Amino acid sequence: MSAGPERRLRWRPLSVLLLVGGALCLVAAVLTRDPVPLFLGLPLLLAPAAAAVAGPRSAPVVAVDLRVDGTGGDVDFRGTVASGVEVDARDLVVEFARPPSLAGDTAPGIVRTGREVRFRAAWTAPEPTIATIEPPAVLWRDPMGLVEREATFSREPLVVTRYPPEVLRIGPVQLERTTPLPGETRSRRVGESGEFHGIRLARPDDPPRLINWRATARAGRALANEFDLDKTGDLLIVLDARPTPLGRDGDEHLLSIMRATAVGLSDSFLAVKARVGLGVFGEFLDVVPLSTGRAQRVRIASALTRARLSPVPAPAERCAVSVRRQFPPGLTTIVMSSLADDPAADLAPFLRRRGYPVVVLSPSPLPLVAGSSRLSAPDEALAARIAKLVRRHRIARAWQEAPTIDWENYWSLGPFVEFVRRPRVRRAG
Amino acid sequence: MSATTVGAAARPDRLPSLVALLVAAVLLGYLSGVPDGWGIVLAAAAVLAAALLRQSSADAVAAYAPVPVVVVLVVEAVGAPVGIGTEIVAGLAGLAFLVWLADDPSRPVGGAARSLGTVAVPALAVGIAWSSALFVPAGALPLGVAGGLLALTLGAVALLLGRPTVFDREEA
Repeated sequence: MSAGPERRLRWRPLSVLLLVGGALCLVAAVLTRDPVPLFLGLPLLLAPAAAAVAGPRSAPVVAVDLRVDGTGGDVDFRGTVASGVEVDARDLVVEFARPPSLAGDTAPGIVRTGREVRFRAAWTAPEPTIATIEPPAVLWRDPMGLVEREATFSREPLVVTRYPPEVLRIGPVQLERTTPLPGETRSRRVGESGEFHGIRLARPDDPPRLINWRATARAGRALANEFDLDKTGDLLIVLDARPTPLGRDGDEHLLSIMRATAVGLSDSFLAVKARVGLGVFGEFLDVVPLSTGRAQRVRIASALTRARLSPVPAPAERCAVSVRRQFPPGLTTIVMSSLADDPAADLAPFLRRRGYPVVVLSPSPLPLVAGSSRLSAPDEALAARIAKLVRRHRIARAWQEAPTIDWENYWSLGPFVEFVRRPRVRRAG
Repeated sequence: MSATTVGAAARPDRLPSLVALLVAAVLLGYLSGVPDGWGIVLAAAAVLAAALLRQSSADAVAAYAPVPVVVVLVVEAVGAPVGIGTEIVAGLAGLAFLVWLADDPSRPVGGAARSLGTVAVPALAVGIAWSSALFVPAGALPLGVAGGLLALTLGAVALLLGRPTVFDREEA
């Protein structure tokens, strides 16, 4: 195993101080013909070299185990660093950085037991977020702090996703069924509802032909047949990652919230075996094609973790054209956009004209803007009222093209969940 | 993004090493020849300042704790008159300083014991140098040897600072 440049022995500033002090003593001893500084200089000069020789001669191997627990906005980050035989765990220094989107402890709790260093930090996510916790830097540092060497271990960043809990409670939603993708082969259909999927509890609005009378007689309660076509559907989630007048910070903030919520939505729909696709529209459209299963969950989560704000705005029609090339029309489409300006509001109409039934979920920028104003209290109140009126106006205009949900409380998706559970309301809109 | 050092925990005072450093520095200050007892005051003040800086909760401040001690020890050693006792006191002050460094309160306890190997090498060198000074007669030759040693040491320091990989066992 060869050590990279970062895993070589490094002198710490204290070593430089000692070496400079020792060298000065040596020079002074020769110039003044006085051996006393020489005696002081000897320990100072030799200590760094002795520390380097006494320590491990190559990057020490340690085992790092990281874990994230907690629900809702709580992020309980804990880890264990186990040292090998070559170094003492007490000489290991663990340095890590808290992701910027999380808040909380900067000084984690440390427990050192035997050959292990255990640490724990309690963080919170103020808003829905996808945060990447980079693996910590584990350093062996000699007890004097003269030299250090980075340890070797398997480095896998942890991804923490926190989204509104309601999205997991959406339940069965009737999604639009689309034509098969090129290359997709469907099995032979049996009956008008397609292949039999399973038996479920009957609902009051189930027609008598759907009731499985034999199963009902055996179980003593009403059971109905469920078919693949009833069970699954297709969903496309489109994120608007174009810059808006909110500025880079505001846009990034909202995009972070949208990314996290998109992960939650895809989790929710993939759990009921729906096919889910993803599009992130910045300058161009980055897509994850329609698919289902756990692998698709990983694909979508990875794509959303990588998604970044585009530095250049792009016309909404480009998004619609790209979506049409990648996805079949008729696909239920959830567009997440801040609707902070007119071009942002154009996305839904263009998609709708290309044949995609669109629902717009719009995280409101007002909570972000409210905290950053430098106005006096009365002016602030007036500005907030005007901003709210402008926002209402934008939402009303967006409603003319597609159902639009204004999302002000980022931790609650109640209105959206309520909406998708009632497709009749959607059609009426 | 806030980088957090996990080692920065409670900072209990490490009295034995602090006392050893204080005694050695004060003794060197006493022998340094600085008039009116200012050598002692200077040494005590430097050690006290270093101890206080180390107690600081800010790691950036605590990192400067060794500076006053190094400066004062060098100043006192440079001004000290020749003498067998002064030489050994200077050497011991340097060693006490190393032990005090190893007792860093921001690190787990037992640093002094764990750094025994690091302190032993300089201690051996001081012992050899002191016994040589004690038993080898003085003359023009020692000065030449000292000059040669100086050149050699400065060269070694430059090499070590430039290529720390000489201590690596593996291929770079």
